[in-house]
Amino acid sequence: MPSITLSDSNGESTTIEAEVGQSVMRAAADHGIEGIVAECGGELNCATCHAYVAPQWLDKLPPPVDDEKVMVECAIDPQPNSRLTCQITVTAELDGLELEIPASQY
Amino acid sequence: MTATESPVLADRPAHVPTELVRDVDLFNLTQPGENVHDAWKRIQTECPPIFWTPRNGGLWMITRARDIKAVQQDHEHFAMKGMLVPNNPRPFPAPPLDYEPPDHGPWRLLVSPAFSPRVVAAVEDRVRQVCVDLIEDMAPRGECEFVSEFTKVLPIVVFLTMMNLPPEDREILLPPADVIARSPDPQSIHDARLALKAYIQKAVDERRATPRDDLLTKITNGKVGGEQIDDEHVVGLSTLLLSGGLDTVKNMLGFIAMFLATHPDHVRQLREDPDIIERAVEELIRRHGVSNTARLVREDVEFLGVQLKGGDQLQGVTALFGLDDETVPDPMTVDFSRPAPIPHAAFGNGPHRCPGAILARREIKVWLQEWLPRIPEFRIKPGTVPVQGGGMVNNVNELWLQWDVLETDGEA
Repeated sequence: MPSITLSDSNGESTTIEAEVGQSVMRAAADHGIEGIVAECGGELNCATCHAYVAPQWLDKLPPPVDDEKVMVECAIDPQPNSRLTCQITVTAELDGLELEIPASQY
Repeated sequence: MTATESPVLADRPAHVPTELVRDVDLFNLTQPGENVHDAWKRIQTECPPIFWTPRNGGLWMITRARDIKAVQQDHEHFAMKGMLVPNNPRPFPAPPLDYEPPDHGPWRLLVSPAFSPRVVAAVEDRVRQVCVDLIEDMAPRGECEFVSEFTKVLPIVVFLTMMNLPPEDREILLPPADVIARSPDPQSIHDARLALKAYIQKAVDERRATPRDDLLTKITNGKVGGEQIDDEHVVGLSTLLLSGGLDTVKNMLGFIAMFLATHPDHVRQLREDPDIIERAVEELIRRHGVSNTARLVREDVEFLGVQLKGGDQLQGVTALFGLDDETVPDPMTVDFSRPAPIPHAAFGNGPHRCPGAILARREIKVWLQEWLPRIPEFRIKPGTVPVQGGGMVNNVNELWLQWDVLETDGEA
């Protein structure tokens, strides 16, 4: 199972085991990562599953679809390495993926 | 609320088992002296998890959290276009509610950004200012009718602000909004909807003539599937945005105020540690769900051992998710230290999950942050009884609050 490392704004990190085929958001939610809120449950409606992708991983992700590009701008403090984690599907190639969780989704 | 009893009892369709019929009228929910949520809890306790009521055109009702969530998420079988009880069509198109995935997404994308974390953060100061102004106006009087003076005012001023419309236009909009919320008469509701639509039409026309940097202009110029949206859909969508956040927030504020006015220990907890306000709001929302949207059954389907027919209406009472003892421990107790995530479906689930959830929570939180420092120990005004009832939105329509005015220098 691919592992994903999520660090918070204090620099503390947690590594979780994810399942191939689920979204990064779902993996985080299943492991009780509170900083990924995902209010809408993965429908690309709410921009509260926002995370910053570690630079070395950014280009390894499939690019966002147009709808994600619209919604990611609605998150708090979006940056060029911002993604909505409900739109990132876990694959074997993403083993070791690193993301930073924002201080707040609101 | 004293809605007149629905005069018509629908005939039981052949596919509805006799033993599942229960007479539950959404608009006549409470027994004398009963709180709305106690009435819902009573119905959940006394009725089977799925039953059929002959009221309001005849519809199924489901009462348990897991089933309510399942229906809200299962857009393949249950459509939001059947959300209104009675199921009278609106006099305008109502995207995104009228659509299910895959058509639903592009319409919803016009709406979601408008209530996103970034936008809500940007309007928070305005929300706060409105709260402060309203509260400071009433504080010296030692009492208020909280609905007409606050819960009806805050959400509509917030909406008008977000839509870049004049805040004073609430005087035009509140009467029809009230009718839509309260009236059991389909004709009155129809006429009120047309009144709201006319107002929005005018605002849209102004923006077609002179585009502005605002949401309404964005919607007016919006595209779905690469095509410009037609006027009917622009106005319909915008009218929905108006009505979506008025009644719901108004009544949630009312139920929460009513609860706090009768539970001084809870108020004390909030005063002692204002940092808990955010999670307290979530718990209070769980306990006092307001929105009672239904669904249209899209095709024959078996659900909970019952054969539903395409065209049936089914109501999963969202308030009952949070009150379901099979899912929520000790659900009738408000416990500000209930562990997160606090289980409720007040904002729904699935593709139609309320776009205004973040804004709604922010309005309630900001109200409490500004109310508690300015209003001392408050109670329901002696000699008054709050007016509350069921409906499309569970409602508090009159709530007199009282507090002792502190003597201050130079003031009477």
